[in-house]
Amino acid sequence: MTDAKAVIAARAAGELRDGQIINLGIGLPTLIANYVADDIDVVIQTENGAIGVGPRPQHGCEDRDRANAGNQPISLIPGGSYFDSATSFGMIRGGHVDSTFLGTLQVDEEGNIANWIVPGKMLAGMGGAMDLVTGAKIVHIVTEHVAKDGTSKLMKRCTFPLTGAKECDVIITERAVFRRSPDKGFVLAEVARGYTLDDIAACTEMSYTVADDLKLDAFGGEA
Amino acid sequence: MPKNKVINVEDAMSHVKSGMSIAVGGFIGQGDPLTLIDCLKTMDVSDLTIYENDGGYGDRGTVELVRQEKVKRIVASHVGTTPEIGNAMNEGRLEVVPTPQGTLAEMMRCGGAGLGGFLTPTGIGTIAEEGKQIVELNGRRFILVEALRVDVALIRAHSGDTWGNLVYRGTSRNFNVVAATCADYVIAEVEDLYTLGELDTNSIHTCGIFVDAVVRSNSGYCVLREEGLDD
Repeated sequence: MTDAKAVIAARAAGELRDGQIINLGIGLPTLIANYVADDIDVVIQTENGAIGVGPRPQHGCEDRDRANAGNQPISLIPGGSYFDSATSFGMIRGGHVDSTFLGTLQVDEEGNIANWIVPGKMLAGMGGAMDLVTGAKIVHIVTEHVAKDGTSKLMKRCTFPLTGAKECDVIITERAVFRRSPDKGFVLAEVARGYTLDDIAACTEMSYTVADDLKLDAFGGEA
Repeated sequence: MPKNKVINVEDAMSHVKSGMSIAVGGFIGQGDPLTLIDCLKTMDVSDLTIYENDGGYGDRGTVELVRQEKVKRIVASHVGTTPEIGNAMNEGRLEVVPTPQGTLAEMMRCGGAGLGGFLTPTGIGTIAEEGKQIVELNGRRFILVEALRVDVALIRAHSGDTWGNLVYRGTSRNFNVVAATCADYVIAEVEDLYTLGELDTNSIHTCGIFVDAVVRSNSGYCVLREEGLDD
């Protein structure tokens, strides 16, 4: 795990509110569960059919019939339960999940998300992501700010096929937090330690405005 | 007395013929009907169309049927856990129809429940709506998705009785419940087999009305993942 991913997961956990039902995507988003504050109780739904996901079982105590959507062994907290896929997606599309956190290949200034296919190269499939971005009340994209080739993942327009149109509400990277408002588009709310406003402008292709109450040195990095 | 549907795997699987459509339960190895898939590997069938959440996990699951070139088309939400499926698609040996997970589950549920289709908001504004009818209702746009009926369903449960009442365990329930309902012939493999009356009647997940054949499971499991998938 890179430092950037740990910074993103820790900052994303700061978005959680007591009592929320949340769904965490595969990979980086799953790490968010490791950073939930002591005074916050959230209930984790996993779309393959469980709610109340708890810590990973101790080694030797894994159960082949208890895993998350990334096929990692899970436990359930008291009150948790299992259900079938149609019920699971009824929960998701039906607005019963408060908040979802997903990784992405691209996100753009209209809130479009593209995270399931690179045409001609990589087909993962959308899995449950299209349903999650449609049904969850708050959609967070958690991603490294720039791709491996150095280009911004926060684009003017997604070029890959979309997972969801205008569905992203919050973008959290290791460098900044952006929140989308219906009238202003994305607003830069926070900049991480070690970055300046100019740094963010230089690595962000999408257009955005800067919040009046922008927080500098808001999270992450070395103080 | 309800009929005894327990038969050997070869007799049950003899209902699968070339060109058929098959719904498969399971979720990247959780509750995958590996005994039935292992039997299918030994059979001379081809041009199958598979409806399943995924292609299995690693080198286990329906990906093995793809490797044998028995599969013409797979309708799935995610094939990232079986790289061979992506390769087969890129080489033109397999058609992959990516379908949102909730949409695929609901296609099976509706098909099993006698409905013609359903309206979903999932995929509006994406290529999931291409070629589909859009219905506007109360100011909101929905994709009209047709219900799914298939020739055969292959599912797996933890416990079952001789009539095909089934109980799943943990997250292995997943697509098995809906796949059980949408096929003309449903084959369930069970790890533990009970006589009638032994299962708790309040805790049965799939009623035997949906099941045509019950087979003893003998195939073990796919492995679990130890570290997180790379994003």
